[in-house]
Amino acid sequence: MDFSESDKDLWKQIYNTKDLLYCLNCSTCLSGCPASHGDPPLLVRNLARMVVFGLEDDLLDDDTPWACVSCSRCEEMCPMDVKPFEMILAIRKWQSANDETRVPPSIVEIYKRGYTQSVGTNTKLRKSLGLPELQTITKMPQMLKLYQQMLMKTPVVSENDYMFNEE
Amino acid sequence: MELCLFLGCNTPAIRPDVERAIRATMPELGVDLAEVEGYVCCPAFGSFPSTDDDSHLASSGWNLSIAEAKGLDIMVQCGSCYSSLRMGLDHLAHDDLKLARVNELLELTGRKLECKTAVRHVSEILYNEVGVEKISRTIKKSLEGLHGVIQYPCHTLFPSEIVGFEESPRQPKALRVLTEALGATVESYSRELQCCGGAGGFSSSSPAEATAFTKTKLDAIIEETKADFIVVSCITCLMYLDNIQKKLNEAENTDKYNIPVFDYNQLLALCMGFDPKQVASICTIPRNLVIDRL
Repeated sequence: MDFSESDKDLWKQIYNTKDLLYCLNCSTCLSGCPASHGDPPLLVRNLARMVVFGLEDDLLDDDTPWACVSCSRCEEMCPMDVKPFEMILAIRKWQSANDETRVPPSIVEIYKRGYTQSVGTNTKLRKSLGLPELQTITKMPQMLKLYQQMLMKTPVVSENDYMFNEE
Repeated sequence: MELCLFLGCNTPAIRPDVERAIRATMPELGVDLAEVEGYVCCPAFGSFPSTDDDSHLASSGWNLSIAEAKGLDIMVQCGSCYSSLRMGLDHLAHDDLKLARVNELLELTGRKLECKTAVRHVSEILYNEVGVEKISRTIKKSLEGLHGVIQYPCHTLFPSEIVGFEESPRQPKALRVLTEALGATVESYSRELQCCGGAGGFSSSSPAEATAFTKTKLDAIIEETKADFIVVSCITCLMYLDNIQKKLNEAENTDKYNIPVFDYNQLLALCMGFDPKQVASICTIPRNLVIDRL
């Protein structure tokens, strides 16, 4: 592996906490991790090394942080309190900020209707179960507009505003 | 007591019978439920929490502020919603800079957040606030003679410092004790604390490996116990463990994966005498064998 071009300060950009520097590479984070069974496997330990070593290109190309199921076992079990789940989210954030193709389409759905899927539109089924009509934000256009205006001030939405424009 | 019911998206959209079970059972046990009008996605970990702090925490703050304005704590069933809201609240309550930034964003919408609202899981409310004695006294029917196994929602266990409520997050017992209070025999099995595997990107990016992973759990249940049903208290665990059994049966040309899966509040509602058509009708693996015994 060629370290000559690696960015030794990359960790400060991605996960600016000294927690990461305590990682012993012990692999406790892999034990019980569902996505460590994936193809390719999510190897949290390796991702921590990549961040510390500053392997920018490899890390930008790595899909495995997105396979995490967010169970947070690694966060609980890590003997050095590296907070590996927070690190996974931090890597995703850094990837999203540096490669627009990484921005998850689900945030566009949330922007447009408040949720990743259609909520509260199954009125017939809900009625048959004796359920009330749901006060979703999708049915409250003024409130949805306020939520969208707020999101417009956040980096991911303002920097990728073309994704959120109504046709 | 009164709590805001945060429904998330999967429960009201795909499994509203679980919502019905929660709305039916909790008030009978002294927990009145208020709405969170205009709530948005929790936000799911794969969405804003994977893009930037501002959009992530502003969305958490949006949801928390609706309950806070009512002066009520939040109750959640979905594991991901619970964990996302709780972690969001933790970030905001312990970081003045982040809270100030979120309030700057919320101010544009006429809202504010003081971090006064707690986020609680329905199983914790049942265990700590209602208590098993009240549950045993209230039910009209019993699960006696039936064997159950538990799927603990990871999101209610880890990281215990932020989301936990069990005495020991590594040896949780709330759902076991709650299920025993309904008269069932609860059996242990070797992979009891293994994640269902259903959340996040794993099952979509590695479908074959994810199915094999969950198969080990179901095989352990079948080989080691006499389980008549699986009890969960998370919408993802519920849908995933239910739907994957059909997939496994088709892939292996068998019918051995046929253990019905229930949300705890569904079992509670059935034991309280509510109509199974309303509180437990949506499933992939048929539930008749359990429902007919009641």
